[in-house]
Amino acid sequence: MIESIPHTLSTQGWWIVSRSSAIVAFVLVTASVFLGLTMASKPVRKPNFAKTMRALHEQTALAALVAIGIHVLAVLADPWLKPGVAGVAIPFVLSLNRFWNGIGVIAAYMAFLLGLSFYLRQRIGARLWRQAHRATIAVYVLGLFHALGAGSDTGSLLFLAFAGVTAIPIAILFVYRLGAARRSSERQRLAARARRRAPLADTAYDTA
Amino acid sequence: MTTPRPRAVVIGSLSLFVVLFVVLTFELSANASSSAGKTQKTAKARPAPAETKTDSTPEVEEEAPSEYAEPEEPAAEYVEPEAEYIEPEPEYEEPEVEYVEPEVEEVPPVVTTSS
Repeated sequence: MIESIPHTLSTQGWWIVSRSSAIVAFVLVTASVFLGLTMASKPVRKPNFAKTMRALHEQTALAALVAIGIHVLAVLADPWLKPGVAGVAIPFVLSLNRFWNGIGVIAAYMAFLLGLSFYLRQRIGARLWRQAHRATIAVYVLGLFHALGAGSDTGSLLFLAFAGVTAIPIAILFVYRLGAARRSSERQRLAARARRRAPLADTAYDTA
Repeated sequence: MTTPRPRAVVIGSLSLFVVLFVVLTFELSANASSSAGKTQKTAKARPAPAETKTDSTPEVEEEAPSEYAEPEEPAAEYVEPEAEYIEPEPEYEEPEVEYVEPEVEEVPPVVTTSS
């Protein structure tokens, strides 16, 4: 077996790099999304906790972008697949697993756009950035389906266990986050209505 | 709680990458060394890898005789003799009947005068 390692690396090295980087990217995206949702649901109201979570969230997101970049380059260099630049850059162009690889390309674009938009927050405005950032869950979902549909390690029990174990808390946190966002917007609407009525009440009190 | 350094995430990611790279390399090498595994696992992940698709089939055909030269089966030399008996064609030809109508020479009657 040892003597066949150089042959394996020379013929399937890029494939191994693409598989390894894809798994690392999926783990990091999962961690980043989990941390982001946990942070948003505010389970612990301590400044240090929020700071730590934010730093981990950012670091895992950036590391995930690097891993996605390595995955794309390794797929591009794969001599067996030969996808070409169009195959990795344009969704649904690659003929092998066209749909699943197509959503993978979309997920990669979304990851880069939404991830790097954090550094343009002051330019685009915090409100618009926050609204766009909520779509990050789509990166995780598309990445999960891309991995299950086109991944070479889909049949691996370890991968399936990891995907299943992490998907459940993420789904619960996302539903909770949606509910929290709805409750928050309801509170803001009530507060705004109260502010609109308050000056009238003051005026009435003053005239009386 | 202190703010984590980016180094922890970087080292963790790199470690995971290296572990996966080594595990996958050993797995593929093990599959390549055992032909049965190669056809089962590698084929499941990649229907026809490049070296399998182009190179492996002729290699196997070329290497096989050097390891185990199967004795060639002697060619069957028995040739069934062809039947040489040729039935003689009947050479008897029925003579054509040429009926020639005898020409009748009309001889004018000889008139003899008798006195």
